[in-house]
Amino acid sequence: MIGRTVALLLLGLLPHSAAAQDGAALFAPCRACHSLDPAAKVMPGPNLAGLIGRKVAGDPAFDYSPVLRQAREEGRIWTREALEAFLADPEAMFPAMWMSAQGIRDAAERKALARFIADPASR
Amino acid sequence: MDRRHFLTSTAGLLAAPALLRNAHASEGPFRVKYFPVPEASRSRDVTACSDGVTMWFNCQGNGKLGRLDPRDGSYKLTDLGPGSAPHGVIVGPDKAAWVTDGGQNAIVRVDNDHKVTVFKLPIKDYTNLNTAAFDKSGIYWFTGQSGYHGRLDPKSGDITVFKSPGGAGSYGMTVTPQGDVWYASLAGSHIAKVDLKTGNAKVVEPATPNQGARRVWSDSKGHIWVSEWNSGNVSVHDPASGSWRTWRLPGQRPRTYSVYVDDKDKVWLTDFGANAIVRFDPVTEKFTAFPSDKPNANVRQMDGRPGQAWGGESGTNRLVMVETLQPPA
Repeated sequence: MIGRTVALLLLGLLPHSAAAQDGAALFAPCRACHSLDPAAKVMPGPNLAGLIGRKVAGDPAFDYSPVLRQAREEGRIWTREALEAFLADPEAMFPAMWMSAQGIRDAAERKALARFIADPASR
Repeated sequence: MDRRHFLTSTAGLLAAPALLRNAHASEGPFRVKYFPVPEASRSRDVTACSDGVTMWFNCQGNGKLGRLDPRDGSYKLTDLGPGSAPHGVIVGPDKAAWVTDGGQNAIVRVDNDHKVTVFKLPIKDYTNLNTAAFDKSGIYWFTGQSGYHGRLDPKSGDITVFKSPGGAGSYGMTVTPQGDVWYASLAGSHIAKVDLKTGNAKVVEPATPNQGARRVWSDSKGHIWVSEWNSGNVSVHDPASGSWRTWRLPGQRPRTYSVYVDDKDKVWLTDFGANAIVRFDPVTEKFTAFPSDKPNANVRQMDGRPGQAWGGESGTNRLVMVETLQPPA
């Protein structure tokens, strides 16, 4: 009985653990420009700590491209859904932005990466 | 005509005269000309083809290598493979184009007949392939922004991948006339010299801390010019003396993305803050700016041939050429 309970608990943990691993792996290329540590030094791209809920182009230490500054002036806010849409095709959401990155085709990967960025508890 | 797109760019031909303009510059005279490549998505790194006429250019957004004929504005696109997202392109001693393809995690060779050969990296890690240079013995060296550099022997196809010191960031790469290979680390804010025998890289710290060294290019003396993304500077390192010199680009908020040194040792930079190509003369220490006639041009790299400096406007799907004209006698 105990063994079965443990097995069920582990089963319940697996999706979270797998997603966390996926998220960490998917975020690895992003680390070349971005940090999730709010105390990190200035990097080539903006700091992503506390991204969800803040304005687009909301890192005060970073000098954003015109298209992102425009989005900030329009009052656009990062949500989990907006982040997943962005990860699918960054150029479609913000044409001619300075960041040069391919979209992620796989919806599960986008969800895992968005969760990793958005939720510190998932890391 | 094969299945690859062969596009006689009527739009380009019609548009080119209207876009032809003279720059207001303190040196020169210069002439700026734009070449629309609308079927390309995110046209970016360029290099001069070995035929002496056409220009190769990468289409990072749709996985193709383009070839522009500047004489009439026509261009041809070649598919590089499924998932392709080409970043850098250079011409090798075999006269073919060699592409660092981040999407395929592969090096792609395209000969002048547009035959494609793919060399997959022997590791599963996503290296985010970036830029490359051939050393004097014909070995192809490359960077991967996830924190890798490596070598490919074109004769055997053997590839070796090394982890770069300091982790992620390995970006632009150059070879000096003496045959030394250097690269820049954007996230690491340093440049590094590669030991061609061992593959180990020795880090050299620029004068400005946390400057965001993005691209490098050697001049004829083997001095390493560096475009500094975070600081908005251009700097130069003399490996013989270990010295550095640094200049800030003009304007309120320069963002120095790329650097290219031409055959006259003039330094060509791209500044995202000013939406401009910027020429720097190391002799007079003067900058000459060539702002794009369209917003958000985002020229991410430059290269050229004598008298012509070329870039790809990734934000407008055009190529741009700044021609240095001969002054009137």
